[in-house]
Amino acid sequence: MKDFEFLHNVTIGQYLPTGSVIHRLHPATKMLAAGLLVTALIISATVSGLLLVLVLTGVGLKMGRIPIGYAARGIRSVVPIIILVAVLQILFATGSDSGRVLWEGWIIKLTPRDFLVAGTTALRLVVLVLVITFFTLCTASKELTHGSERLLRPLTRIGFPAHELAMVITVALRFLPILSVQAEHLVKAQASRGADFGKGRMGLFKRLYRMMPLLVPLFIASLRRGETLVLAMEARCYTGGKDRTQLMRFQAGRTDIIAICGTGLVVGLLLTMHYSRLDEIIWTWLN
Amino acid sequence: MERFPLRKIVIAGIMSAVAIFLGATGLGFISWFAGVSITIMMVPVIIAAVMEGPVVGMTVGFLFGLFSLIQAAVAPKSPLDPIFVYPWLSILPRLFIGPVAWIVYSSVKRLNLLGRSRSVIAMVLAGVAGSLTNTILVLGLLGVFYLGYTDWLTWPWIGSIALANGLPEAAAAAILTVAVVAPWQGVEHGRRRSRLVDDKE
Repeated sequence: MKDFEFLHNVTIGQYLPTGSVIHRLHPATKMLAAGLLVTALIISATVSGLLLVLVLTGVGLKMGRIPIGYAARGIRSVVPIIILVAVLQILFATGSDSGRVLWEGWIIKLTPRDFLVAGTTALRLVVLVLVITFFTLCTASKELTHGSERLLRPLTRIGFPAHELAMVITVALRFLPILSVQAEHLVKAQASRGADFGKGRMGLFKRLYRMMPLLVPLFIASLRRGETLVLAMEARCYTGGKDRTQLMRFQAGRTDIIAICGTGLVVGLLLTMHYSRLDEIIWTWLN
Repeated sequence: MERFPLRKIVIAGIMSAVAIFLGATGLGFISWFAGVSITIMMVPVIIAAVMEGPVVGMTVGFLFGLFSLIQAAVAPKSPLDPIFVYPWLSILPRLFIGPVAWIVYSSVKRLNLLGRSRSVIAMVLAGVAGSLTNTILVLGLLGVFYLGYTDWLTWPWIGSIALANGLPEAAAAAILTVAVVAPWQGVEHGRRRSRLVDDKE
């Protein structure tokens, strides 16, 4: 039966409603904060900065009343790849090979720095996963629409279709579960007619050929649903734009300002740590 | 609202959902041999561009790129995935798939000398062009920015991947684009299908 289920192992996008301070923040605040933090983590990977964010994410989870073990569950699926990346980096990383050599042989040369670099990469992945999981755990998918529309609103002045893009995101998110049900139906229907979705060895095009009875109806069915949606929305006289009112209104308050300022502070700290080469200083001091 | 009819918004959303779905479930990866797999995740982008124009294609490409960024950060599948958390590698190249596919499609479709089958030929070429845009831009940027990230990431390696993955991906994209768009638009294949209505083109 496992072959017939889709999306059951997708952990991204789980929402845990606890109604905490974090959950009640304006969606735009949460998106901005998460976006800034992820960008900062991508630009700067210092061990000290990563540890800081790790601790702060723990505090955030506590404030959001989310069990830390629950949030950490998302990391489990990433562990094999983290180990693989780390091992590859330790074995084959070139670069500044100054300093002691722990072991040398064949094309492999192990230096303490290799371990530092590999450790940083692994830690960065763990922290990134945690931050994004934290964000999705405290943000419902429908909040994303409001958040992205609010964040993009300044761009409407130069003619950017903020509302339209937010609508595209809403439709996409809303369609994911529908698509998964649709795909399940299709796989079952085709399997009952004797379809074989290509286990075992075969050429690429044979495999593609076997996937066609699933892929083509999936596309066609989703396009058909799209047509129905267009008809339904037009029948209800949908119009976007600035005069449109919303059922749910979010009001930004003092906590939002505090949250944004706090995130800004952390991002500033991270970048300072990166550009002042704090890790290098600690590293040489330890050696 | 005049600029963006409802149909464009909805098709963009739905094709983005399909792209994300293909990526999240692994349906979008067709494994070949020994762990090598080709991706067909750019097909929704191409289809959206062919059906609704370059802006819709670009929007779907953007959301597809954004999703692949998140996936690279949260659920990396290959040792190269950690580099794909950089937006200029995961999002930027994907913005061009739609516009390129649309340009190829609309210009080929205008060629009168191809006769009746020009729509199908245009779809095939759009699929190939869109897919190759993805391959060339992603691998090109990978080479420009991250040569030497690991020992084996060199131009010859990139070239061999471009050939080994890029060409089958282009072929797969062409087949799927025709297989979806042609019946959807009721285009005449030239055979097998009887003509009940006049050709409106």
